Amino acid sequence: MIHVEKLRKEFKKTIKDPGLKGSIKSLFHPKSEKVVAVKDISFDVPRGEILGFIGPNGAGKSTVIKMLTGILTPTSGVCTINGKNPRENRKSYVKEIGVVFGQRTQLWWDLPLRETYGVLKEMYEVPDDRYKKRMAFLNEVLELDSFITSPVRTLSLGQRMRADIAASLLHSPKVLFLDEPTIGLDVVVKDNIRKAIEHINREEQTTVILTTHDLADIELLSKRIVMIDKGSNVFDGAIADLKSKYGQMRELVFETDDPDPSETLGYCRHFNISEDDCTLECEGKRVKVRFNSASVPVSEMLSYTLAAVNVSDISVKDADIEEIIRRLYKGVDA
Amino acid sequence: MKQIKRLFRMHRIFVVQELKRMTEYKGDFIVGVVGFLLAQVANLLFLWIIFTQVPDLMGWSMNEVVFIYGFSLIPKGLDHLLFDNLWNIGFFIVRKGDFDKYLTRPVDTLFHVMVEKLQIDAFGELLTGIALVCVTLPQLAISWSVLKVALALLVIPFCTLIYTGIKTITAAIAFWVKRSGNIIYMFYMVHDFAKYPVTIYNNAVRFVITYIIPFAFTAYFPAVYILRDENPLFCIGLTVLISAAVMALGIFVWHRGISAYESAGS
Repeated sequence: MIHVEKLRKEFKKTIKDPGLKGSIKSLFHPKSEKVVAVKDISFDVPRGEILGFIGPNGAGKSTVIKMLTGILTPTSGVCTINGKNPRENRKSYVKEIGVVFGQRTQLWWDLPLRETYGVLKEMYEVPDDRYKKRMAFLNEVLELDSFITSPVRTLSLGQRMRADIAASLLHSPKVLFLDEPTIGLDVVVKDNIRKAIEHINREEQTTVILTTHDLADIELLSKRIVMIDKGSNVFDGAIADLKSKYGQMRELVFETDDPDPSETLGYCRHFNISEDDCTLECEGKRVKVRFNSASVPVSEMLSYTLAAVNVSDISVKDADIEEIIRRLYKGVDA
Repeated sequence: MKQIKRLFRMHRIFVVQELKRMTEYKGDFIVGVVGFLLAQVANLLFLWIIFTQVPDLMGWSMNEVVFIYGFSLIPKGLDHLLFDNLWNIGFFIVRKGDFDKYLTRPVDTLFHVMVEKLQIDAFGELLTGIALVCVTLPQLAISWSVLKVALALLVIPFCTLIYTGIKTITAAIAFWVKRSGNIIYMFYMVHDFAKYPVTIYNNAVRFVITYIIPFAFTAYFPAVYILRDENPLFCIGLTVLISAAVMALGIFVWHRGISAYESAGS
């Protein structure tokens, strides 16, 4: 469905010395350097998949998405959707895709929401009967009814996001790009939006590329993630693989009366492991230990802890994806 | 043909959308209309004062000068009315990354940008222009023919496209330098020279507004033909050619610019 091969984007960046003096100097002697925002990224996405596309701020996620949506011209490499290339025929390419940028709206700001759909219908040449059916479907999934006659500027962020998603789906695109669709939303609205995305994906086999900083989005929606950092692909695979590859982290939580459990237990000293593999947090009586089960088996951890301090209410959990990503981002940075 | 029909349909939709937008803010709309009417009355008064003081100008009678002045306002007003959004490309849209939106839609980006806004202030120029032409025409001894009427009307959209083309070229520079509003302004303001017979200027100015920034073709040359029947091939023919060339260059630069577009971080 989506084929990305050796996609690369370079920007020219002017370097300025700080201050007004620097700005003036650069006006006469401009200095610039080449910044490689995306370094030869390749991946494929099959039809109907929800791909989680993640990476720290400034990793090049948006640049990749913008190349895939035909906004930016790649320096080299190709991306195609259904064999169509945005550089060859942008207009026919964008008919296949829907795009939502969480931070920007494509709705007509001053007019009632319904007007936006009317214009998009014409733009994408959706026939009347299909338009009716489509609006009924989107209404059902995204619950637009209550605010479809309100001017867009009066919508709440959650309503606006639903409206934006509906706008991007009006022409039944085969691929939907969602760039931070849940940014700034409350828990309930986030949940609704996730359900809607899942529903549309299930119902219509829409391929979804999702970028987000809320890893719950990814965990709930996608089976596969691509993670990039500094413009390169650092992980591409199933979330389950990610967990087994990086996710030997476990979380041990217990309560103890010990005044200074960190000192008493001294895991790092005892097991002779580094801080990276074991961290400890205290919150009153509650102690949270994150440790790498590859270097210290869970059983040893448990028996040592139980022997060393007086423990009540103990539990061991799988580290969630967030923890893994945190380690990955940190690891990548170092 | 189908393509063109679709463009007209899209254009109509955008215009209707704009009109709805204007009525959404009724107060602003009414004040805007009253404001531009007042401005035009002041403008006319000012012109009247100037032209009653100047009996003729380098062989051009006052009526002829006023006709050229009025004629020049018609294409300028049309461009201003229909394609004003290009200014925003130069000042904001590219710099802020808002151009993204146009690139994700299955409509030609230049067309989409051009027709998205309707600038009703332009009615001021249009009405003034039409009024000046209508007032001066009966007082001028013009030999009319069907051909001349047809050519005079035909040339107006081409004159308009000279404005639009120059704006397109200069606005598209923003794709490389991020902000080109002042570049548009610099070139656009040259049109002020084109409101008067170009024979009143020295050779350098004349050369520039004829061949470099061809605003002389937006009013003076067509008027020479209409008023004095001189050289229709040059006056009308070249206007059409130059207009087409300027617009073609605009479209070319625009599409080259899109490849250089860098969006903005989000």
